[in-house]
Amino acid sequence: MIASMAGALPTEFVMTQISYAAVLPMLLVFGGAMIGVLIEAFAPRRFRHEAQVTLTLLTLVAALVAIATSARDHQGITAAGAVVIDGPALIFQGVIVALAAVGVLAMAERFTADEADAFTQSGAAVPGSPREAAAVRLGATSTEVFPLTLFAVAGMMLFPASADLLVMFVALEVLSLPLYILSGLARRRRLLSQEASLKYFLLGAFSSAFFLFGAALIYGYAGSLELSDIATAVQNQSGMDGLLIPGVLLVVVGLLFKVGAAPFHAWTPDVYQGAPSPVTGFMAAGTKVAAFGALLRVLYVAFEGVRWDWMPILWGVAILTMVVGAVLSVTQTDMKRLLAYSSIAHAGFILVGVLALNQKGVSSTLFYLVAYGFMTIAAFAIVALVRSSGNEATHLSQWAGLGKRSPIVAGVFAFLLLAFTGIPLTSGFTAKFAVFAAAVAGGGTWLVIVGIICSGITAFVYIRIIVLMYFSEPAGDTMVMTPTVMSTLCISLGTLVTLWLGIIPSPLLDLASQSTLFLR
Amino acid sequence: MSLVNYIYLSAILFAIGSAVVLVRRNAIVVFMGVELMLNATNLAFVTFARMNGQLDGQAIALFVMVVAAAEVVVGLAIIMSIYRARRSASVDDANLLKL
Amino acid sequence: MLSPYLVVGGVVLVGVLLFVAAMGARRLIAPSAPTPAKESTYECGVDPVGEGWAQTNVRYFLYAFLYVIFAVDAVYLFPWATVIRSSDLALASLAEVGIFVGVLLIGLAHAWRHGLLRWL
Repeated sequence: MIASMAGALPTEFVMTQISYAAVLPMLLVFGGAMIGVLIEAFAPRRFRHEAQVTLTLLTLVAALVAIATSARDHQGITAAGAVVIDGPALIFQGVIVALAAVGVLAMAERFTADEADAFTQSGAAVPGSPREAAAVRLGATSTEVFPLTLFAVAGMMLFPASADLLVMFVALEVLSLPLYILSGLARRRRLLSQEASLKYFLLGAFSSAFFLFGAALIYGYAGSLELSDIATAVQNQSGMDGLLIPGVLLVVVGLLFKVGAAPFHAWTPDVYQGAPSPVTGFMAAGTKVAAFGALLRVLYVAFEGVRWDWMPILWGVAILTMVVGAVLSVTQTDMKRLLAYSSIAHAGFILVGVLALNQKGVSSTLFYLVAYGFMTIAAFAIVALVRSSGNEATHLSQWAGLGKRSPIVAGVFAFLLLAFTGIPLTSGFTAKFAVFAAAVAGGGTWLVIVGIICSGITAFVYIRIIVLMYFSEPAGDTMVMTPTVMSTLCISLGTLVTLWLGIIPSPLLDLASQSTLFLR
Repeated sequence: MSLVNYIYLSAILFAIGSAVVLVRRNAIVVFMGVELMLNATNLAFVTFARMNGQLDGQAIALFVMVVAAAEVVVGLAIIMSIYRARRSASVDDANLLKL
Repeated sequence: MLSPYLVVGGVVLVGVLLFVAAMGARRLIAPSAPTPAKESTYECGVDPVGEGWAQTNVRYFLYAFLYVIFAVDAVYLFPWATVIRSSDLALASLAEVGIFVGVLLIGLAHAWRHGLLRWL
């Protein structure tokens, strides 16, 4: 027994070669988060907000520059087969960093106060307790959210770039743990926010356990967690075949949960509603991009050889996701829950692109994610502006007549809703068209038919809101906060990208289709 | 004893853990179910490592333990803050968010 | 084949014997004059109140958290022990472990500055 174990030991420890130029963007973001923690520990309270926002934005810009210059020239599998930097990984990382930068702008909104408006000043204190009041009086700040965001971004960047299921699991946790905390830090309706945090945490931990057990079964089958080794083992079909398919399905379930696909979508509306609106926008955009990146890599690189076993199941999931998202969004009366169900429907449309299983599938999925990410961050930034008696006015009836009260905000929101619908001249149209075209080319005509029907249903929902905003009388005390430069920048960037991708989609489509080749 | 039995054991533990998550009401017990699932997975990793004659699986188990510890810290902090606000850790009482 | 296990078994046996010998010697030598105060769970300090099952003050859970994080992360120091003495890896591994511990220290510094290490 000892002898057999000794035979498995490597004779000598070999130092791992890491291409630091390739992983520089991720190191920058991790480093920025670390400095953020130090600022949180040692900087005086009155400087923290400015320092943290500046640091976070600079870090993200530096990471974007590093992706475009350093990492792009050093593609390959590095860190002993743990991280892969290839075309799709680079594009996904770039998109995540760009979305995070826009999302951070919305988080930094503070109107006329001294600290970020959306976040509680003392997350650890019981809502309404004397301790909370004392913390507010002493000028407690909530600037931890910025380092937490950076940690989440770093996890999101590692997620689609991991070449190993274990690294993918670690990245999944690194991106999720900060988000669990962030979603519990809303300033208003704190009980609701804490509850969202709890639900997100319990279901998230549950699903990551599924992911891990799937990885264990695949390890038993392939003898390795590296995606390329798994792909080889899948081709050769050796030995314990009974482990493979359950393993694949469990891993995919873990990823579909993060994406928010039905029937693993139950957390989405609750968490989107309870979390602070800027966090919801960031989370909806960033997590979707990262998780779809990881899903694409796992399905296209590792499990491609058994596609006939998982394809039918994912077809069912895609159809169910589109139908559930579209039908349930009709019945919603809360704006954030409505956007949550719309995000579920969008996840279904993106899955249609993923299931095309060809080059077009990758590039159209990517385009859809970019389009969806920017419009959803801007939409949630607008939701954070509309207030009624101090709270966010999330009930649909409170949005009645907004077009008369605040024409600009209502106009921008209406434009974003049209983009969600997929009206021509918005990025939503190009994205849906690209995804459906890829699916038809990949033999998924039935998926496309269901997708178009569901698009019609969601169009009804969005148009109803536009009608509500413009053709009904204002009621109640709904008012729109005057955004400072931060929110304004966030909303205009999101809207401009949506418009730009709708009018001139070809640069991004070209870029996406040039980088669809996964390194094995 | 055949090594396959350990795989069966780990699958049973995993199933018990997920049943706990789905059935129990107390958030801390639910969380213990998740931990049971993760540790069942560790058992599977270690057993497969023995079957394949590698040490990778044992190293993986260490990583999983550390990640699980980080998860415990974040999770218990969230549960504590809810408990202090409501004096209850029942997931049924956390019902402000309804369809 | 079995000789490594014999060594382990021998070490365990010696450990058990040492413990038994020490406790046995104490029992033989020490005078015994029990009083109710000496029979109580804690001979010095506050009289124990209530059952064996008691709720622990929440303040301890912060220390439990810090302990969990740092104790579990110590796992990553063990592989380092296998390479620290090799000539070509020593410096590089020292730097890498320095970074690893540095990251943990940043977290500890944050906890310290926010008063989590203070006895409430």
